[in-house]
Amino acid sequence: MSEPGAAPPSVGIVVVSHSRRLAEGVVELARQMAGDDVALEAVGGAPDGSLGTDADGIAAAIGRADRGAGVVIVADLGSAILASKTAIELLDEPVTGRVVISGGPVAEGGLVGAVQASIGEPLAAVLAATEEARMMDKGVAR
Amino acid sequence: MTTARLVVRNPSGLHARPAALFVRTCGRFASKITVGNPAAGKGPVDAKSILSVLTLGVSSGTEIEVTAEGDDADAAIAAIREAVDAGLGEDVEAAT
Repeated sequence: MSEPGAAPPSVGIVVVSHSRRLAEGVVELARQMAGDDVALEAVGGAPDGSLGTDADGIAAAIGRADRGAGVVIVADLGSAILASKTAIELLDEPVTGRVVISGGPVAEGGLVGAVQASIGEPLAAVLAATEEARMMDKGVAR
Repeated sequence: MTTARLVVRNPSGLHARPAALFVRTCGRFASKITVGNPAAGKGPVDAKSILSVLTLGVSSGTEIEVTAEGDDADAAIAAIREAVDAGLGEDVEAAT
């Protein structure tokens, strides 16, 4: 829901990990960098709290993160990607058509994507930034 | 087109949270904005991209060159100058 005259909706970010604490940590850091206005959701672990993934939980998080501009999912690996694909299939149009899974790293991609989303970049640009994050220059010279 | 040279004085330079704040400040304006680190021969790069800004290697005390082009270029440069001078969210020692 946007107020009259408010900025157009920003892209949301869903961070998916096998570990709830890892996902929440990425969101905590991304929140500090990107500010309070961007939609960031953490999903981690299996429904019973153990390490694992939860397609229903991811689908719910996508629903919370989508403000009309779409959602980028950054996930750690393996079944986090598979569960994210399943989650997208669980959703209906128009939301399901504007959710993309990033191939970028979960932490760096989440941070970078959140910052780009916070300035109102469109879905394709936010996705590209999360994937380019794998080449982030951390100032370590070799 | 408006250009300014600004000295980054906050302790971390243009890294992590200050870099994000710099990008978010630039993102409030429609103008095309670039930033460079002329002394290091880096840039100019897109000032609205956190990944690009991080490649500049701007540490505390570095002079950056910011250029804005567009209808709100003057306002953008003024806001960026204010944000950089204020330390980009970090405490900054009084300029000597």
